[in-house]
Amino acid sequence: MLSFEIIYIFGIQFNQLYSMKLKFLLLMALLVPFTIHAQQKFDISGHVKDSSDVPLSYTSVLLLAPADSALIAYTLTSDDGNFQFKNVARQNYLVKATYVSYLPYQELAVAPEVGDLRVPDIVLNPISQQLYEVVVKTAKAPISIKGDTIEYDASKFKVPPGATMEELLRKLPGVQIDKDGNVIAQGEQVRKVTVDGRRFFGNNTKIATQNLNADAVSKVQFFDDKSEQSKLTGVQDGVREKTMNVELKEEAKKGGFGKVTVAAGADGRWNTSGLFNRFDKVNQFSIVGYGNNTNQSGLSWDDRQEFQGSGSFSGFNDLGDFGFNSSGGMRYFYFSGGDSEESFDIPFNNLSKGFSDNEGAGVNYNFLKKKKDFNSSYFFSRSNQLIEGNENRQNFLTDGSSFFTKDLNAQENLAGHHRLNFRFKNEIDSTNTLTIVGKGRYSNLSTSLSSLQELIRSTGEQSSMQRENGTDKYSMAYQGSAIFRHKFKKNGRNFAASLSSTGSKGDLEGTQKAVVDILNSSDPNSYFRNLDQLNSSLNYSQLLKSSLLFVEPLTKVLFLETFYNFSKSTGEITRTVFDSSSDGSDLLNTALSRNFKNDILYNRLGASLRYSVKGNNLSVGLAGAQFNIAGDYAVTPDDPLLGTIEKKYSAITPNFSFFKNMKGNKHLSSSYTMGLTPPSISDLQPFKDISNPLFIREGNPDLLPQVSHNIEASFYKYDPATFIRLYINMNAAINKDQIVQNQSIDPNTLVTTFTAGNVSGGNRIGFYSGFGFPIVKTKLTIDIDYYPSINNSITLINDIENKTKTFSNGINARLTLTPADWISVYSGFNYQISKTEYELNASQNQDIINLGAYFNMNIKLPKEFYIDTKFDYDRFENKRFGFDQKLPILNAFAYKLVGEKKRVELRLSAYDIFNKNQGITQQASQNFVFQRQVTTLARYFLFGVTYNMRGVEVKKRR
Amino acid sequence: MKKVSLVILVSIFSVFRGFTQNLVGEVEYRYKIFYDKIYASQSFISEQEKDRIMLSWNNKDGYSTRMKLQFWPEKSLYTYGEDYEVRSYSWRKDDMIISNNLKERSLLKLVESLGKTYVIQDVLTPPKWKVMNELREIQGHMCMKAITEDTLKDQKIVAWFAADIPVPTGPEELHGLPGLILGYDVNDGMLIVEAEKITFGEPAEEIKFPKKLKGKEVNQAEYDALVAEFKKTAVKAERSWVWEIRY
Repeated sequence: MLSFEIIYIFGIQFNQLYSMKLKFLLLMALLVPFTIHAQQKFDISGHVKDSSDVPLSYTSVLLLAPADSALIAYTLTSDDGNFQFKNVARQNYLVKATYVSYLPYQELAVAPEVGDLRVPDIVLNPISQQLYEVVVKTAKAPISIKGDTIEYDASKFKVPPGATMEELLRKLPGVQIDKDGNVIAQGEQVRKVTVDGRRFFGNNTKIATQNLNADAVSKVQFFDDKSEQSKLTGVQDGVREKTMNVELKEEAKKGGFGKVTVAAGADGRWNTSGLFNRFDKVNQFSIVGYGNNTNQSGLSWDDRQEFQGSGSFSGFNDLGDFGFNSSGGMRYFYFSGGDSEESFDIPFNNLSKGFSDNEGAGVNYNFLKKKKDFNSSYFFSRSNQLIEGNENRQNFLTDGSSFFTKDLNAQENLAGHHRLNFRFKNEIDSTNTLTIVGKGRYSNLSTSLSSLQELIRSTGEQSSMQRENGTDKYSMAYQGSAIFRHKFKKNGRNFAASLSSTGSKGDLEGTQKAVVDILNSSDPNSYFRNLDQLNSSLNYSQLLKSSLLFVEPLTKVLFLETFYNFSKSTGEITRTVFDSSSDGSDLLNTALSRNFKNDILYNRLGASLRYSVKGNNLSVGLAGAQFNIAGDYAVTPDDPLLGTIEKKYSAITPNFSFFKNMKGNKHLSSSYTMGLTPPSISDLQPFKDISNPLFIREGNPDLLPQVSHNIEASFYKYDPATFIRLYINMNAAINKDQIVQNQSIDPNTLVTTFTAGNVSGGNRIGFYSGFGFPIVKTKLTIDIDYYPSINNSITLINDIENKTKTFSNGINARLTLTPADWISVYSGFNYQISKTEYELNASQNQDIINLGAYFNMNIKLPKEFYIDTKFDYDRFENKRFGFDQKLPILNAFAYKLVGEKKRVELRLSAYDIFNKNQGITQQASQNFVFQRQVTTLARYFLFGVTYNMRGVEVKKRR
Repeated sequence: MKKVSLVILVSIFSVFRGFTQNLVGEVEYRYKIFYDKIYASQSFISEQEKDRIMLSWNNKDGYSTRMKLQFWPEKSLYTYGEDYEVRSYSWRKDDMIISNNLKERSLLKLVESLGKTYVIQDVLTPPKWKVMNELREIQGHMCMKAITEDTLKDQKIVAWFAADIPVPTGPEELHGLPGLILGYDVNDGMLIVEAEKITFGEPAEEIKFPKKLKGKEVNQAEYDALVAEFKKTAVKAERSWVWEIRY
């Protein structure tokens, strides 16, 4: 191959300074050619003029390689329209000339055997006024000129949505549609239409123009094609047919995918899911469904994303709570995976405990056009869950003694949820954006619980109680919000306003029965007593909130942000309890029936000053917040008030934050926030709640709001060249007037009464560090995290301050081994030890150890066979109580992809091969230790088939 | 075949007067990048994952940065322009200044890649261009299409140059066409760079390098080798390389 280096030098007449250098370069240029084989070189010269023989000066003339149009050299014509290329390699060239408002012209220059070449004069024709002005300038449409072919970029010509191609053609300059619907291009009738180069509906142009959608057209080309006759015979008959070729848009060729999985196994285990998605540039439509009795009560993360499409992550900015963070602002939004009753979100990644069968189905539609985004979805899910639990709890009394409760229970939960979501983001123009979000939910829930509770005192005294509870509940909720953002003309000045309304209503009816064997008490304050009650509960709540934000740039780097938050929440709870008597008549229980009403008004006004330059962001702010809390309660709504509460709290909260982005992917951040949490209404009401007689709750009208000072600092660095990652975080919280539940335990009845109170001195400090590095790049990587923390909490137990200190140390390590394409190993372990020390009762001090390890191996065998093994090992240990549970869970999967496009997968799955699975929770705090074991779906096998239109994904990395 | 070094000398001592003003000026480009498309195009992303990304992240408007090119017949300078939007949160911008010396055929670049700043000095080597038969208009200038390929970054580049601004330079690393490059497109819309404003005449303030060039000094081949090595490793480790090198 010839390789050319081009020096392009302007001998610039208006800058005499260069003449010296230029003379030198000229000399160089003259010298260089003589050093190489001069006979291989020749000169090409020529002349460029317009159609009226006027020489065209300053016209670009290019030498291109005829094979691929590669640029070899270029020059400009002189004043008299002449050009010359000196000493170019002896070969054929395309000589191309281009000049403003003329059609570029190119022709083949054949190199003579010897001597120089003078090409025939190049005549440039002006681009027709219409073509240039209309197509190039006005429509901003590239036109392509290939010999006599003119190509239009159809997307640049505006036609109404749904218009036919005929309407598009009418807009093209130089194209007309006659009264019979024939297409006339450059004065000639179009005889032939091709689509993407292929014949379309014979020679009937009308069928094409009236049936093709203009939206689908990418390009329209007009040219003279050989006649079909000559194409067939190869004989040039000289007949040319005006031909129109239509190129369709890529995106008009719509996309879509779908997949379905069916699996079944022994013991009636089954699992099925399916998803279908169809999308184009503007519309996304999808349906999804699942059903199983393998505890999966929701979509997988990937399926959720494929189902919601552009709506998957759009909700993050929809809170509309402006101003720096304060825990005083009531947030009713959260992004939870589970299928919880309160959530508006589509459930995903949810593996429930116990045994459950689950079904769900949904439909989603998104519309995205220009500055308008619309997302909508409807989702129904139901689940039937059976939980058998075994709970052990030891409570420590101040005198050093303790008592145990054991609870064996079986619970059946039936839940069904309908969820409807929509979001519409409209960029009205470049300065205004309006986002409207609507959410709705309707749920039906019923639970039945039967439990056997045993109470064992250290004195040996014991008793047991059999409980049967059942509830039926329906609830509904809605949320509507609007966020408006405006950018002012002055760059950086912004305004935003939000308004949202949330409401919920719930209606519950239930029965509570209890039978006690020995210690049956007639004391209504006793937990251990026979019960036969009917209860109902009616809840209603309403939240209205609004926020305003104004950002003023004081300079290019200094900003003043002013914000105002308002919220008003109203709630009412009516709980009615009837005692069933043997004669069938129900008697209102005035001790347990209550009607609560409450109103919380929240106002916050604040400002912060932000300094932002080159990755440094410093913010200092101050806000004044006020809570007005009012509530009252009575036995039933019609009864006289038993009490009222009215409280007003106000505080000034400072705020500080600093973020710095540094060179080399380094980020530093630090912040201080002051959290202000008002007491809840139930903590304030001076009323004894004896609905759970073992744990009586009592309000305290003298409560102060809880203040927490939170400090955080972190540093992150990632080096992409070495793959080394480092993360360090330190956080601390110091609580003032922390709201805690002080306990007093009756030594005779063992009934615990919780009274809300304020204590100061509780604090928490935590540290987190993570470090990851490759030992062998791309093959072996290690990640280590270390996270110690200290937690000090204080509660009053029988009026004595009890300090509990928990010191915990955690370490995680991960090893990633990917030695070859066909094998990958991911393994790791985590170890966490929590030492809890009780100041009052050092003998109760204890260590809780949670240990976990995992080993995943994915192997790819020949012929699209795969084997995945997942082994998880968890150990829960509490030496003091002789609690030591080991959970070795081994899952294994063998699967094969079938077919060239790998659309079918056959999969054999074995879950929990050792049959050890159960749900375990253990907890130690304040004055009790608690463990819970739930019998959970263990070993099962499935054989499944998956069909995926896009080819089955093999997920190597997890 | 034998490698031939060919020098073409073009001396225009009598320039058409109407065009002399087109030889010095400043162009503001909109550098509009579509990270979702680029991310999804990586070889280790499965078809289904691609669909997922395009469905849920599909960002119609891309991410825009204003860039600025100052040109003279003998040189050009290129760096960031003013921010489109004044924001109360600021991100650090990677180092990025490119200086093409057209007269001495040399280049000096200050670029930040792979978490480091590099000072690249080398001869100015134009991409291998093919000139096509298409015309379009950008900011009142009739532009002709030229295409090239960047094998290092797997880019198919379609550039549009204005023959009536006969300065053979352009934005980013593109140059060597018989006219100023006013716009280009990479891989069918993964990156779209287009002139938004052209001002002829001496720029008010010339783009300047920092007084001391801090960074690792390399030549273009050494730098390209670093990028190629990183890309190879990243693809092998199935990590995205698109965030760490300027596209």
